[in-house]
Amino acid sequence: MELTVVKNATCTFCGCVCDDIELHADHRRIVHTKAACVLGASWFKNHTAERLYPEALIDGREATVDEAVEAAAHYLHDAALPLVYGLSNITCEAQREAISLAELIGGVVDSHTSL
Amino acid sequence: MGGKVSCTLGEVKNRADFIVYWGGNPAECHPRHFTKYTLTQKGKFIPNGRKDRTMVLVDIRETPSAKAADIFLQVRPSKDFEVITTLRALIKGQPVARDMVAETGLTLDQLQDLAERMKRARFGVLFFGMGLSMTRGKHMNSAAILTLAAELNAFTKFVAMPMRGHGNVTGGDVIMRWTTGYPFGVNLARGYPRFNPGEFSTVDLLIRGDCDAALIVGADPGATMPQPAIDHLARIPTIVLDPKLTHTSRLARVHITTAVTGISAPGTVYRMDEIPLPLRPALKSPYPTDEEVLRRIHMAVAARSRPAPPVVWPGPVAV
Repeated sequence: MELTVVKNATCTFCGCVCDDIELHADHRRIVHTKAACVLGASWFKNHTAERLYPEALIDGREATVDEAVEAAAHYLHDAALPLVYGLSNITCEAQREAISLAELIGGVVDSHTSL
Repeated sequence: MGGKVSCTLGEVKNRADFIVYWGGNPAECHPRHFTKYTLTQKGKFIPNGRKDRTMVLVDIRETPSAKAADIFLQVRPSKDFEVITTLRALIKGQPVARDMVAETGLTLDQLQDLAERMKRARFGVLFFGMGLSMTRGKHMNSAAILTLAAELNAFTKFVAMPMRGHGNVTGGDVIMRWTTGYPFGVNLARGYPRFNPGEFSTVDLLIRGDCDAALIVGADPGATMPQPAIDHLARIPTIVLDPKLTHTSRLARVHITTAVTGISAPGTVYRMDEIPLPLRPALKSPYPTDEEVLRRIHMAVAARSRPAPPVVWPGPVAV
């Protein structure tokens, strides 16, 4: 099977953010990495494009993303002091959205830095 | 505490001839740090690579990183602040009592030698890990080592840099600084940002039970936080966005599966030296990205927050 090769891919496992990784992938998973360290290689190989988990859960039951988004909005809108936490394993673009949401709901926004 | 004297990893590669790792184990936690950025690479002003550099490791135990070091200093647990403060005194030529230094597990001669070497360096770097910043003293330790780096600039070029763990935790600091003016623990409840670690930091907030809902993105506090904090997350409505079903997902009211950053989600990520780098995802995810889901939640909340239509005054009532 034809593998797609991605050159100079960026690894986001640790704070080194090495941007010289070569990835060989079929449409489902990354099968080979070049230049990545042991941690990076297992990071790339352990995440696949398969549908392994339900797209959303509400109270442990499977739900659609639309329903889950509505439920999330309901809880966050009703809260007096909601907390937005994490932000470490997401992109800067997503971080910006998270902070903007925290502003809208009047909450606290915090990351792993505070630990 | 006044700012951080720092540089990029490229400058470390090209210039640093004296490298200190404090409270970190890069050999196991950042495996390419030595070979890609700091130790073994040849640089513009470091023509012979490893031979032109001196590496010191300060830690409470002899980790695999000690093999790479020229000097290993084993400090007694939770005595880092005392060691850093002693170094600051020695660098300025102030007298230090020998028996007080002995409490730290190191000798005055060892610290005197380190202080002299630091002052003699052409370009020195202090990389500090969570062994320093998350043990007794915490942010005071970080402040002390940043001050040490700043003060060394009276003698030579010296910088300090935290060894950041998770992929884009640096980006979190940068984006929060850019949008709110503060790097973490920001309270926006009054409509303007307020910063107060200890009050608005997550663990404290959860243990006191101050917040009444939580949105967890790109983190798994259910696996890492103290039990009272986890208990509070289970009590309040918690919403999790994550590529996997995490420990936190199991105690949450809502979980939404998202694409994996850098593997199937594109965007930008900051390296530990605050250099932004683009991602080049190799796979296409069946799930939406965190960015997309967050935007949709934002829109759904905004729709709920829209003010009710104004009540129209019917006009004066005829009497």
